[in-house]
Amino acid sequence: MITAAALCPAPPLLAREVTGGDPVLPELREACLAAVGALLRTGPEVVAVVGPAARTGTWDGASRLDLGIYAPAAGHGGTPDLPPSLGLGALLLDQAGYTGRRLLQGAGRSAEASACAGTGEELARRPERTALLVMADGSARRSRRAPGALDERSAGFDAGVEQAVRSGDLAALSKVDQALAAELMATGWPAWQVLAGALRWTRPAAEVLYSGDPFGVAYLVAVLTVTPA
Amino acid sequence: MTEPRQPGELRLGRHSFAPPQLLVMAIVNRTPDSFYRPGITWDESAAMDRVHEVVAEGADIVDIGGVPAAPGAEVGAAEEIRRTAGFVAAVRAAYPELIISSDTWRHEVGREVCAAGADLLNDSWGGFDTRLAEVAAEFGAGLVCAHTGPQQPRTRPFRVSYPDVLADVLDQTLAQARRAVAAGVDPGRIVIDPAHDFGKNTWHSLEVTRRLDEMTATGWPVLVSLSNKDFVGETLNVPPEERVTGTLASTAICAWHGARIYRVHQVRQTRQVLDMVSAIRGDRPPARAVRGLA
Repeated sequence: MITAAALCPAPPLLAREVTGGDPVLPELREACLAAVGALLRTGPEVVAVVGPAARTGTWDGASRLDLGIYAPAAGHGGTPDLPPSLGLGALLLDQAGYTGRRLLQGAGRSAEASACAGTGEELARRPERTALLVMADGSARRSRRAPGALDERSAGFDAGVEQAVRSGDLAALSKVDQALAAELMATGWPAWQVLAGALRWTRPAAEVLYSGDPFGVAYLVAVLTVTPA
Repeated sequence: MTEPRQPGELRLGRHSFAPPQLLVMAIVNRTPDSFYRPGITWDESAAMDRVHEVVAEGADIVDIGGVPAAPGAEVGAAEEIRRTAGFVAAVRAAYPELIISSDTWRHEVGREVCAAGADLLNDSWGGFDTRLAEVAAEFGAGLVCAHTGPQQPRTRPFRVSYPDVLADVLDQTLAQARRAVAAGVDPGRIVIDPAHDFGKNTWHSLEVTRRLDEMTATGWPVLVSLSNKDFVGETLNVPPEERVTGTLASTAICAWHGARIYRVHQVRQTRQVLDMVSAIRGDRPPARAVRGLA
C-alpha cells in the first residue's frame, strides 16, 4: 500500500556540491527536503524512488549518485550506471536522514504509458507501507534561455501537469501526450505515468511546495497524501 | 638539495594560509622613478589612495618600496626610511589586519619598518645584507628569499649565464632560507622567490617560469614577481604599458605550477586569473555553476 507520494524535480543542481560557491536555488532544495520529510512522517517500511531512466528496471537500494559525472573536481564515488534521477532521489533521502529500506525504480523513457502505469500498480500492490518519491521534471523549454529554448506550448503543458497534481486528479496525468512531452523536453513523463498508476485507486490530497522555472525548466515540488480507504 | 619543509601553512602577520590559497601582493612604491607608471604613488596621499584601491580590489598584502630596482639616483638608508617607515605606520593604522610587506634589502630599513608594523621583509636583492634575516627574526616577521644570481642591488644583468638557471635559483634561495631559519626566522614565515628579471635574461626568466614546479616541489611557499617586467616586454616586444596580457599569461602558468604569492600592479585582473586557475586545478569551485545543470 502507498502511504504518500512526494514529487520532486531532478536537476543536477539539486546537489549542492555541483553549483560551486553559490547555493543557486536553496529554496528548491528546502522544498524538496520538506516534501521528503512529509513523506517519511507517514512511517513507510520502504521508500520507492521513481525516476526516468534509459530502461525500466530496478537498481540496488544501496546505490548512490556519482557527483563526479557532473563535477569531476568533486571526485568520483557512488554508482556509475545509476540513473541520475534515482541518484538525486537517494541523495534527498540521505539528506533527510532516512536509513530504512529503499527501492530504486527506473521508468524507461520510451516505455508505453500503460507499461509505466503497470509498474506503478505493482508498487501499490506491495504489502509493505510504501512511500513514493517521484523525481520528475516538466518542460525544459520554458524560456528563451532555457536548455531547449522557448516553446510557447510549454507553459500550457506544465500548467496542465500542475493542475492534475494540485487537484489530486492523477488520471489526468495518464492523458499527458508522450510525443508532446518529448518535444517539450519534459523528462518526467514516464515517472508521472508510474505515479498515476500507483495512485490509481485513490484521490490524494495535494500540497504544492514549489512551482517555478528559474532556469527555463519547470520544477514542481508537491506532497500527495493518501487517506486510507 | 631538498630542504626540510613540508608544504603547508604559510604565516604572515596574524594570518595563516593553507596551500591552495593564492595571495595577491599589491605594489605601492614610494618612489619618483620606478619603471612602471613612475611616480604615481610618490606623493603620500596618492600612495594611501592606492592602498585603499588595492584593498578594495582584493589585495591580501601591500608591498611598500622606497628604492627602485633599476640603477638611478642614489637613495641612502636614511632616505629610504624617510620614504617608507612613516607610510608603513600610516597603513598599519588604517588597516590593522592588512599584511604589510616592505620591499627592502637593508637591515637598518627593515628594523624601522618592522617597528612601524611591517609583517614581511621582501628582500628582493637576495640576501645581499645578511643582517636583514636577523631583523626578521627579532620582530617575528616573515622573509622573502630571492634569487639574484651574481647581481648586486640596483644593477642590471650583464652577460649573465648559468649551466642550469633553475638549479642556481634553488641553490641560492634554499641556502638563504636555511640561513634565515638558523638566524631564528619562523620557518612558516619564509618564502622563496625566483625573482624574474633579476640576474636573468629573458630566456632565463622564461625557463624559470616553465620549470616553476621544481621550485614549488621544495615545499617552501613560492612568491613570483612578474608584473609588467622586461621578460614579458622582450617576449612580446611591447613597452611597459602594454605588458598586462603577457603578465597575466605568466601568472596563470605560475599558478598552475603552485606559486602562492603574486606581486603585482594589476590586482583585480590578477585575482581573476588566480581564481580561474584555482578552479581549473580543482582547488576552488566556480563562483556559480548552473549551465547544463538545471
